[in-house]
Amino acid sequence: MNLMPSPPERESEHLPAVSWWDKLSQRSRDMILFVLLAASAIFGLLLLTDAYEKNLERTDTLTGYILFGLIIFLGALNSRKKMSMIPLGRASLWLSAHVVFGIAAIGLFWLHIGTIWPVGLYEQVLTAIFYLVAISGVIGFLLYRIGARQLTQSGVEVIYERIPRELYEIREQSEKIVLKCTEETGSDTLAKHYEDTLSWFFRKPRFYWQNIFGLQSSAHWMRFHAASVVRYLDEKETAHFDELMTLISVKRKIDHHYAAQDLMKKWLLIHLPLSIALLVLASWHWFLVEVYAI
Amino acid sequence: MSATAAGPTIARPQRWDSPFDSEMTDAMVEGLLEVKEIAGIQTDKFPARIPLEGILKNDTRIINYESGDIIVRQGDYGNSAFLVLDGDLRVVVSPGLPSDIMGRIDETQRTFFNSLSQLWTNRWFPEVRNDFSKAKTGLRHSEDKADTVRGVFLQDVPAVLDQHQTVVLSEGALFGELAALGRVPRTASIFAEGKATLLEIRWQGLRELRNYDEGWRRIINQRYRETALRTHLNETSMFHGLSDEVMSKISDQCLFETYGSFEWHTSFKQARNRGIEQEPIIAREREYPDGLLLIRAGFARESIKHGNSRRTVTYLGAGDHYGLEELYSAWKNPEDAGAALQSSLTSLGYVDAIRVPAPVLEEFVFPNMDPPESRIEKVRSRPIDQDSLLEWAVEERFINARQAMVIDMDKCVRCDDCVRACASTHGGNPRFRRHGKTHDHWMVANACMHCVDPVCMIGCPTGAIHRSLSGGKVIINDKTCIGCGTCANSCPYNNISMVNIADSSGTKIVDETTHKPIMKATKCDLCTGQLGGPACVRACPNDALKRVSFNEFDA
Repeated sequence: MNLMPSPPERESEHLPAVSWWDKLSQRSRDMILFVLLAASAIFGLLLLTDAYEKNLERTDTLTGYILFGLIIFLGALNSRKKMSMIPLGRASLWLSAHVVFGIAAIGLFWLHIGTIWPVGLYEQVLTAIFYLVAISGVIGFLLYRIGARQLTQSGVEVIYERIPRELYEIREQSEKIVLKCTEETGSDTLAKHYEDTLSWFFRKPRFYWQNIFGLQSSAHWMRFHAASVVRYLDEKETAHFDELMTLISVKRKIDHHYAAQDLMKKWLLIHLPLSIALLVLASWHWFLVEVYAI
Repeated sequence: MSATAAGPTIARPQRWDSPFDSEMTDAMVEGLLEVKEIAGIQTDKFPARIPLEGILKNDTRIINYESGDIIVRQGDYGNSAFLVLDGDLRVVVSPGLPSDIMGRIDETQRTFFNSLSQLWTNRWFPEVRNDFSKAKTGLRHSEDKADTVRGVFLQDVPAVLDQHQTVVLSEGALFGELAALGRVPRTASIFAEGKATLLEIRWQGLRELRNYDEGWRRIINQRYRETALRTHLNETSMFHGLSDEVMSKISDQCLFETYGSFEWHTSFKQARNRGIEQEPIIAREREYPDGLLLIRAGFARESIKHGNSRRTVTYLGAGDHYGLEELYSAWKNPEDAGAALQSSLTSLGYVDAIRVPAPVLEEFVFPNMDPPESRIEKVRSRPIDQDSLLEWAVEERFINARQAMVIDMDKCVRCDDCVRACASTHGGNPRFRRHGKTHDHWMVANACMHCVDPVCMIGCPTGAIHRSLSGGKVIINDKTCIGCGTCANSCPYNNISMVNIADSSGTKIVDETTHKPIMKATKCDLCTGQLGGPACVRACPNDALKRVSFNEFDA
C-alpha cells in the first residue's frame, strides 16, 4: 500500500505494471539468485568430480579446497559486520549468501568425506563440530524468522539493555500501589498477598522457557493468583488490585521480550564460537593433509 | 452554594505575552513610526486588537550589526524579514560564500583507507574531540553576555568584496520576507559592510503588515510575483501549455494566503491531545469553493467526515492543490447545487498557499482541460484500516520526513547491528536510537528525518546546522556548534541529542571559566563523507531498515 493514495497531481500518473519479481522482497530475490548460483555450482562440481573419477583421479583434494574456501567465506560474514564503514555490500546480501551457501556446504561436506560419519577421532571431532555449526545455523535462521514477528505481536517494544530498568520501574510502581492500598483502606490483605506471591513475579524476568515455547504459563499464573485473592478484597481494594493487574500484564509482555531477545542474542554465542572452532580444526586438517602430501 | 467547581485560574494567554524583544520601549516604537517605510502605513486600517504600534513593539526588534556580521546565510531557514534602518549591507551574488566561512561543514568524501582507518582510530570513549582548532568562522559574542554567541562574522570584508560580486542594500531596503513567509531557504547571503542598524520583523508581524497595509502587501506580493509565482504555476500541470500572456493574467489575479502557526513544532511537542479538531481550518466540507488552492509551503490535511470524527483522504504538500474537482464541476454544471467542497482542508502546522480565483480558471484553464478524476468516492469505498498508516503518519507529522528511518519490526531481530554500524562510523557513539513510535509492524526510529520543513535550523546562531547543498541533508558542523541546544529543543521528533564532549583520555571537557560541560548537538548525518551511503541501511542483515520519504513509502 502506498502511503500517499490520492494527492491530486499524483493520482493522474500511471504507474508501470509491477512484475512478480518486483513484488518479491529484496531478501527473497537475493535468496532465489543465490539458490540458483549454488545449484549451478554444485551441478558443475558434480560434473567435474565425475570427470576426475573417470580419469581415476582423487576428488577429495578438489572438494576439500572448495569446502575450506566456502567455510572461510561463511565466516567472513562476521568480519563484514565489523567493517560497516567501508562499502562491502549490504549485510542482508551477505546473510542471504551465508544461509544458502551454508546449506550448500553440508552437501559439499558429504561429497568431500563420502559418508555422513567418518572414521578416525580427529575427523569425527571435526565432523561433529561441522554438524553443530550447521544445526545451530538452521536453528538461528528459524529463530530469527519466527522471533521477530512474535516480538512485534507482543504489543510492546523494549530495548533489551533497558529491560532491567523497565522492570525496576514496574516493581517500584507495584509497591507504591500496594502501599497506597494499605494506607487508604487500612487492610493488609493485598499487601500480604503481594509479599507472599506477587513480589516473586515482579523481582526479575520470569517464565523464560515457557515464553520461548509460546506457553501461556504466565497468563495462567496471573489468573490463578488473581482469583485466589480477589474474593477477599472490597471495592476500594479491588480498584488498586486492578491497577496491579495492569502492571502484571505489562510485565508479562516485557518478560516475553526478554526471553525472545535473550535467546536471539545467546544463540549467536553458540554459533560463533563453534564456527571459530570449525575454522581452527579445518585449518589444522588442511595443514596435516598438505604436510603428509609432501 | 456555587455550582461551579473551584480550580486553578490564570489570565487567558494573549498573543503578545511573549514579545520578540522584551527591551523594545515605547520611545523606540515612536522612533520607528518616523521611519519613511513605516510612516507611510495607514494605521487606521489595522484592527483595534492588532494596532501597528503593538506590532512594532511586540513583533519587531532593532539590531545593531558590526562590519562583517553575517545577517542571513544562503540556504538558511528563518522566520524573520529585515528592514534596513541605517548603514549599508552587501548581498553576495556570485560566487556564493564558501561553506567554511559561513560556518558549514566540509563535505568531502573519505578515501577507502581513510574509511577503513576508523577501525583502529575510533576511541574507547564516546564523543572524543581531538581537534580544538577554531573553524575559519568568526563568532560574534553578545555585548552584555560574553559567553553568548550572537552570530557569525566575516573576518576579512575587503577580501570578500574583492573576490565576490555583491550588490549594496541601503537604508529603506526590505529583505528576507519571501523566505520568512514562504518557509523557503534564503537565496543569498547578506552581511553588514560597515556598522548597520536593522529592524527585524518576525513572521507574525510581517503577516499582519501584509494583511492590513496596502503598500507592504503590494511590495511583498509584487516581489513574489516577480520571483517565484510564475515558476510555481509553470510546475502545476493544469497550467501547462498556456501562453505567456495568459500566464501573466493568471499570476496577476492570484492571492496569497497563510494559515496555521509558523512555530507549529512548539505546540506539537507540548500538546498532549493532538488531533484534527485542533488544526486551523482552511476550507470546510460542504461550503462553496471560490478558488483553487495551490500549496506553496507547509502541509495540509484533506479530510472527510466519517462517523463522529474525520477521515484523512490525503495530505498536501508543496506543489499539490485542492478544490479542482469541485470547481470544475461547478463550471461544467452551473445548475448543479452539489458542487460544494467534498472534503475539508486543515493546516498541519504552517501553510503558505496561493489562491487562484474561480473566474480565472473558468476563463483560461477549464475550457482546455480534461475532467479531473473523482478521488473522494474512491476513498470512501476503501476499508478504513487500509488508511490507518496514513492517518498515523499525518498525526505524528512523519509526513515531514525526507529520510525517515523506518524499521519493519516483523523482520527486525533486534540485533542492533544498525546501531553498531552507526557508532563505528561516528567516532564510537551512535547518532540515533533504535526506538520510536510504532504502528502495526512499522517503527519510525529516533533518527533525524532530514525534514522538508527543517524547523531545527531556525534560530541557530552560528549556522552550524544547515541544509547540505548536495542532496538536501540537514547536517551539523561540529566546529561551529556552540552547544546552545536551540536545534535540539526545536526538533519536534526529539531526534537531536546534546552530548558532553571529551578529550582523548575520556575526560569530559568543561568551560574554562564557568566549568560547565561543553556540549555539542549531534544527530544522524546520513553518513556524510562516508563511502557507500548510510551505514545503518547497509548493516541491517534482514533488510528491515529503510530510509524513506513518506510520500514515496510503499508499505
